Amino acid sequence: MKLNFFTLSVALRHLRYGVGQSLLTIGVIAISVLLIIYLRTVIGGTQIRIVDSVTGSIPHIVLEPAERTPIGAWQLPDPTGRTLYIGETVNLPRAQDKIDDWRQWLPALERDPEVTVVSPVVSGNVFMFRGARRESVRMSGVIAERHDRIVNIEEKLVEGRFLQMTTGEVALGATLAAEFGIRMRDKLRLLGPEGRSLSVTVAGIYETGSGALDDGQIFLTLRDGQSLLELGSAVSSVGLRVRDLYQAEAIAESMTTRLPFKIRSWIADNPNVFRTLDAQDQTINMVLISTIIAAGFGIASILVMSVTGKYREIGILKAMGATPGEIQTIFVVEGFLLAVLGCMVGIPVGIGLLEALSTVRVPGPGGRMTELFVIQIDPWLLLGASAVAVTVGVIAAFFPARRAGSVDPMQVIRGS
Amino acid sequence: MADTPVIELRGVGKTYYNGDIATPVLFDMSFEVGRGEFVAIVGGSGSGKTTLLNLMGLLDRPSMGEILVDGRNAGTLDEPGRASVRRDRLGFIFQFHYLLPEFTVIENALMPCRMKGRRFQEEQEPRMRALLEKVGLGEKLDSRPAQLSGGQQQRVAVVRSLANDPALVLADEPTGNLDTRSGRVVFDLMRSLSRESGTTFVMVTHDDNFALEADRLIRIRDGRIE
Repeated sequence: MKLNFFTLSVALRHLRYGVGQSLLTIGVIAISVLLIIYLRTVIGGTQIRIVDSVTGSIPHIVLEPAERTPIGAWQLPDPTGRTLYIGETVNLPRAQDKIDDWRQWLPALERDPEVTVVSPVVSGNVFMFRGARRESVRMSGVIAERHDRIVNIEEKLVEGRFLQMTTGEVALGATLAAEFGIRMRDKLRLLGPEGRSLSVTVAGIYETGSGALDDGQIFLTLRDGQSLLELGSAVSSVGLRVRDLYQAEAIAESMTTRLPFKIRSWIADNPNVFRTLDAQDQTINMVLISTIIAAGFGIASILVMSVTGKYREIGILKAMGATPGEIQTIFVVEGFLLAVLGCMVGIPVGIGLLEALSTVRVPGPGGRMTELFVIQIDPWLLLGASAVAVTVGVIAAFFPARRAGSVDPMQVIRGS
Repeated sequence: MADTPVIELRGVGKTYYNGDIATPVLFDMSFEVGRGEFVAIVGGSGSGKTTLLNLMGLLDRPSMGEILVDGRNAGTLDEPGRASVRRDRLGFIFQFHYLLPEFTVIENALMPCRMKGRRFQEEQEPRMRALLEKVGLGEKLDSRPAQLSGGQQQRVAVVRSLANDPALVLADEPTGNLDTRSGRVVFDLMRSLSRESGTTFVMVTHDDNFALEADRLIRIRDGRIE
């Protein structure tokens, strides 16, 4: 490479004079840059949406009571203090799946810089009575201010409230409410598995768009949940949200060594989601790689044409003392400049297109208008796409440039 | 230095190989060209005169013998070294003008200077402007080559060959592609520039009228000096 006044000025003049060819090449590069930015951003947005729909209303990490290993009755200390006979019934205290000492662990969890939300939850199946009808529903007793940062119910309320829910109140999904003809302020009776019953008033009705939450799920305060399940002051699990949800599995693993709980991440619970995203990534990368290769060949063939058309000029320049390195530099510089110009066209057009796309809205759950595409333009993607385009431009220019550098002045000058 | 010939050939021969078939083109050429001389090389087609000019212009390497430019043996130079001799010491005129269509007349005339840097080009510009005006192209300095007639284009090529103030200008049939009148204009131009600037010219031609007006005539037949 010999960058000097001669090579740079000749390269620039070639580009300016051969405007048609230059524009064609710039167009090819701009389109590939546009495609890279556009496809990656739209697919990235789709992936954000998919992940969001999976993780949007669940904890990233769940802390549950450590699993117990079943043991035989004969291994228990004898509760009666005498020999047991076959056929005899002994009532042992039922061990429940619960976390008694959760308050003790809470500060440590909240201090973890990766953890953004810590929400203790009491959950279990209960019966819900409404007049003569009875339905088994999943009950979650929560501290609403904490849990709302996981499930985002407050902003999906159709009626009433969630955050300010107090003892004796219940929030439930719109589907469940419609099925039972439940309206705000209605009274419901709940029956726990241990036979404890509780009367509650409907304080909020929400619609999240997720079937699991809208149908068959009710929320109570933590205290009501504890008394309905007769858990005392214990909880069933602790849900966490972390800053980077893709790190959930790693964080869960590191917690396992420090905390006496069974710890699961959303990633371990949803292996299919990850496999799908991965397959999607690979497909889109294949498309992009093919595009880039095709663009590379396009640029190369345009530059080959340009070099072929300039054989005689190259010959006379070499006769006058231009070195092969200088001639090669002229054409590599052309490839480089065309690629840079292509990026300068492709990137703004790509951003404009994406911004236009981000304004497209369609009715979402609950009739609210939501964006059709999640568009987050990553500056690194712009930089990466430019780097790819410039590299491809230079590589594509390199081969015709080498050919130009090896033109034999005698051949072209004698010929004609 | 003044006594050193501008170019000297010592027993130069050239054989082309096409696979195993050897085609000898030039045999045992020995002559020298003194400073300021105007030499014409004549010969029929296939006589080897263009090959000889290519060898003298360091565009090709001889199969045997030595070529000395300014007393320096060009055979010992590598490719960049030969390019640098061409850039600094030699000027070229070909049958076709080979002006660069992207550049104006004055820019084309200055092309050999462009290779030597922006400063050098700027320094030489007044001289080249004056030369172009002298050859009747003063009005055409900023025109593109395509806007010129064949004779005008070749006049630009002649001026261009002098841009780097060469010791030797090699001209390969410079009038071969022109009508008689334009050819005469170009030839007279070369002749007068040679006289005024003291630049050495070696011109290959098959036109005896021009050849006879040269200071010296080298006649070639079948690869040998007659």
